[in-house]
Amino acid sequence: MAYLSGIAVTAFGKHPGRGPVALMEEAALAALADAGLPRQAVDGLIAGYATTYPHLMMGTVMAERLSLRLRHAHQAQVGGATGAAAIILARHLIAAGACRHVLVVGGENRLTGQSRDDALKILAGVGHPVHEVPLGASIPAYYALVAARYLHETGASEADLAELAVLMRRHAAAHPGAQLTKPLTVAEVLASKPIATPLKFLDCCPISDGAAAVIVSAEPTGAAAIRLAGWGEAHTHQHVSEMPDDLGLGAKIAAAQAFATAGRQAEDMRLLGLYDSFTPTLAIFLEVLGFAKPGEAGAAAREGRFSRDGALPLNLHGGLMSYGHPGVAGFLAHVVEVVRQMRGAAGQRQVRDAPLAYCHADGGVFSSHAGFVLERVA
Amino acid sequence: MSGPMLQSCRTCRHGWQFQRAACPACGAQDIVAAESGGGGTVWSVTTVLRAPLPELDMPGGYGIALVTLDEGPRIMCRSAPGLAIGERVQVAVEADGMPRAVPAGSELEDAGSG
Repeated sequence: MAYLSGIAVTAFGKHPGRGPVALMEEAALAALADAGLPRQAVDGLIAGYATTYPHLMMGTVMAERLSLRLRHAHQAQVGGATGAAAIILARHLIAAGACRHVLVVGGENRLTGQSRDDALKILAGVGHPVHEVPLGASIPAYYALVAARYLHETGASEADLAELAVLMRRHAAAHPGAQLTKPLTVAEVLASKPIATPLKFLDCCPISDGAAAVIVSAEPTGAAAIRLAGWGEAHTHQHVSEMPDDLGLGAKIAAAQAFATAGRQAEDMRLLGLYDSFTPTLAIFLEVLGFAKPGEAGAAAREGRFSRDGALPLNLHGGLMSYGHPGVAGFLAHVVEVVRQMRGAAGQRQVRDAPLAYCHADGGVFSSHAGFVLERVA
Repeated sequence: MSGPMLQSCRTCRHGWQFQRAACPACGAQDIVAAESGGGGTVWSVTTVLRAPLPELDMPGGYGIALVTLDEGPRIMCRSAPGLAIGERVQVAVEADGMPRAVPAGSELEDAGSG
């Protein structure tokens, strides 16, 4: 059994002068306080990578900074899926009896710690060094290729995708830590600067500074026990050139395993935390995971299905699209919000009731998938 | 100009692009290089208007397509403007080393006029 016992997220946006270690330290100390655990209780640590501080040993860098004495420490690296995969790995360490309390932490100054050109260049490097990067492909271009294919296969429109950006912005407006809170319309998304067709500027998440941390424990430490009930991963390819013809294959494999290990089904879920690097990322996840019909994620968002008062609230902090995206901390922020909602501690953003939630992230270009089911047991 | 280079498995005839010592389909290690005929179909396409490197930026952007070659593999190419998903194309590797996809038949017109 593994429980998400501690959570913390900083504000996302600009944290000038603060590097990855300082940002991660802030989130880690806040997560320890949230869990009510002394630092001596933590015996495992999985740290995310930071593009602004590409260290070989971020796990022990953070252990030293936090004065932890650990039985396990390392740095995890599967792109956007890193936070999700690290939480699942923490569960495995606990199940194996290797650790009792594992700190998962990510954060960096991706926005202010480097130029935008440097950030885009580093990100484009997930492409193939011979057959993709030299052609001038970028991260938005890789996702644009998937988006164009998605629109072709489903008949959905660019306006449908824009609905998801509008929804994330509306949710972010209710969170004081969100980077982007100015209300947004579908027309504004459609009129924003083209980046790589069919993606416009406002189909893309921003680049941010920030950090988040989650503590995974062998037993609950607080009043509300949030159990990691099921988990699944799939790693189908690295490069978009070798992506399976079925755009949702990796997501479906990972989710099917997560639901099977939880003994639950997609229909049982009452809250979602889904990776939303670009609007098509979110649309594809919603549809292939069974939370919307093919091509209808945008329409369902427009009709309120994924709003706070809807049947299946989604990314109530605003997601990567509007809360922000500082790398590994980006998806950890989804998890923090989901746990906060499940505890009933989300204040003005609080959903009616959410005893079961599904969280899912991808890294690369739908390359690495990690998803898990959370269940409130007390 | 020549066709894109592929890898081909002599055991099961599976073909692919990226360098590998073993066939992704059957695992055999009897691999040969094979030049593609260049004929294919557009699987997806985008026009990049914000390049990842400033020196790549160009007015009107540039096309990048994923083309499923007739031999089976899907490869990334620079593409002519206005290509559509499902369109038949001809892919050739140009002097700068980049594979470029143009509408099938148009490469013959270019040759005739040049």
